[in-house]
Amino acid sequence: MEQHEGRASSRADDGWWSSRLHELWRVSDRVQDVAELADSLYGMLLRMPGVLAVVGARWSGGLLHYLRSVTLSEPTPSFMEVEQEFGAAAAEDPDGDPPVTVHEVSELDGAMPHVQLLVAAGARIVAECAVPLAQGGWVSFMVATAERAAVDVTLRSRLKQVAEVTMVSDRRLMARREDELRQVSDAFLAEASLQMDSSLDVERTVRRVARTAVPAVAEGCVVHLCLPGGLTPVASSHMDAGEQQWLGAVAAEDLWLTHVLEQVLSRGQGRVLHGDELEGGPFGAASSGAGRAVRALSVNPLRARGRALGTLTFLYHRVVIAESASRFLADLAGRAALAIDTSTLYEQRRQHVVSLQRHLLPSELPRISGLTLSSAYEVGDASLDVGGDFYDAVSGAQDGVTLLIGDVCGRGAEAAALTGLARHTLRTLLEDGGPPEHALGRLNQALLREGTSRFVTALVAVLVRDGKGFLLRYWSAGHPAPLVRRADGAVEELTAHGDLLGVLEDIEYGSGSAHMAPGDALVLFTDGVTEARAADGTFFESCLRDTVAQQGAGAAEGFAERLAATAAGFRATGADDIAVLVAQAEVVA
Amino acid sequence: MSGSARDPRIDHDVVWVVEDSAEDAEAIQRALGRTHPGLTLEFTDRGAGVAERLLEAARRPGLVLLDLKLPGLSGAEVLRSIRSMPELNDVTVVAFTSSTAPDEVDATYAAGADSYIYKPVNFELFTTVLKGAVDYWQRRAKGGDEGPAAQPPSS
Repeated sequence: MEQHEGRASSRADDGWWSSRLHELWRVSDRVQDVAELADSLYGMLLRMPGVLAVVGARWSGGLLHYLRSVTLSEPTPSFMEVEQEFGAAAAEDPDGDPPVTVHEVSELDGAMPHVQLLVAAGARIVAECAVPLAQGGWVSFMVATAERAAVDVTLRSRLKQVAEVTMVSDRRLMARREDELRQVSDAFLAEASLQMDSSLDVERTVRRVARTAVPAVAEGCVVHLCLPGGLTPVASSHMDAGEQQWLGAVAAEDLWLTHVLEQVLSRGQGRVLHGDELEGGPFGAASSGAGRAVRALSVNPLRARGRALGTLTFLYHRVVIAESASRFLADLAGRAALAIDTSTLYEQRRQHVVSLQRHLLPSELPRISGLTLSSAYEVGDASLDVGGDFYDAVSGAQDGVTLLIGDVCGRGAEAAALTGLARHTLRTLLEDGGPPEHALGRLNQALLREGTSRFVTALVAVLVRDGKGFLLRYWSAGHPAPLVRRADGAVEELTAHGDLLGVLEDIEYGSGSAHMAPGDALVLFTDGVTEARAADGTFFESCLRDTVAQQGAGAAEGFAERLAATAAGFRATGADDIAVLVAQAEVVA
Repeated sequence: MSGSARDPRIDHDVVWVVEDSAEDAEAIQRALGRTHPGLTLEFTDRGAGVAERLLEAARRPGLVLLDLKLPGLSGAEVLRSIRSMPELNDVTVVAFTSSTAPDEVDATYAAGADSYIYKPVNFELFTTVLKGAVDYWQRRAKGGDEGPAAQPPSS
């Protein structure tokens, strides 16, 4: 019976239906979102004989996201956002082929919003067809009629046909969207890494992460770091400048959020929260204020080298995006954590280098009557390795001073250890009043005993009172020859060769002596000075004498600093550190 | 924007783009043409006079995409001049730049930008970012932030 009536009533519009269906297939190929099919799809079903209303419901588990509906009295499609949890029993997850089921409206739960729409349209019988969606959840199409007879084979098969178009279109869209998301994710990761690497300051790095991600990933982003006072927000950004402040306050004060973050941190696993999982917090449809637009939240732990550094949180105004991106979020969190960790390590290391370097050089030079001492140290490259240059000044028993300068080849931890050994060995022996050859010999033995492959150059200069000036005697172990700047500006080189330390058992020193009159200056330096190289390839050595002549014309205090600064300014290449030590005999009035 | 009385001269389907780079302007055209074919885009390559023209326009754009690195009058100056005119309160200004430097972000917010958007190099990502910004402000303009409520037909 039913079947025959159905055929008879619909035969006339078979042609109309198939042309509309064909059109729907064609459109489905172009749409960006399966929801764009809604208008034609709902209109087609509404034109079927006996149909009072068409209602669509978008579900994820027991969570009803929204409803779409058309009725005979209101044929323009209307949209109603719900975002309410009705429990898993409220709706059944479809699988495989979309089946069509038929219900009496009176048997359905009248409290459900879609049932209310059906009742309002005067429906008694409803034919339902649910389509699983590739991004999770499903959409259920309900066709409402006044009587069971209207739900004939034609209506059922047509309902099934539009459901199939929706399903196929959705799968195609999802595949395309996943492909796009992958492309966009890869591009984002690459650009975010670039932004992160452009700063070694932790706070700036973190702020860049938060900035790059909005709105590429989500509408809002917050980064918390584990600081001594606990989990602390260090950066937040929101699509809307007007909501930055709100987000900052939530990030700093909200207890619900703090709890979620701590949980994620202790489990070490990212989480996406939506629907009723947002309950009790400042987000979601049930909340008030700016958080109301937030549909989903993702939280990922920031971990690098086994340490928990903090959390990366995103706020989404659309739920779909958060669901499909967990791998990408974990990836992003991993890269952000590495960038933060690198910045933190860099800062720690810089502190260590600064303090180590401080220990390798004298904190201050002694005051020697009749002499003005000055010294300078310029770090050669920014790689954070401790350099191997050292110098010191030991006041003599009588009037006078013993100066020492040296250079351990190479940089880094081993060079730093040898630099400490060299400076302290020489200093201790010279303080005890031992002869310089002896001190250098002991250092040579100590270096050989260490079995190091590094060699050391060093020079010891002893200045003792001699009339109005000083008598200078010096011993060099392979160190660059010192200069004496005479009071009149003439510059002389003191010949000094000698063997390197740490290579041979028996060494010979290059030694000599000179007289220093009042106003004369002894200039000791390391090879970083002579080997500083300008962009055109010339070495500073070629203009060292002139520079010493010029810079020595100024005040005795600061002579070494001026010379070192000139060499450093000259340098375009050459990563060696520069050390300069100057003793200038005072002019007695 | 959140102005209580909305400006009747504003058309939320019109977007002005202030961008001096021809390549970037072309990319914006291509990206928004794909994601929002219904938008009317108007391009200008310099900042001078933008605020005044906004004031005089019969159809004011709901959104201005403003490149911060402009020759002559800088993006920040254009922003300040727009924000100095209370009649333009309902025009949303999205600052668009290739820098994520925190100081620049802070300065741009201080000058009155509604959004600060980082301009990515990759075109797909660029499209995603632009779409995110336009979608967000269009939803806002249509009252989408006011929580669950019946809405006019969407798409």
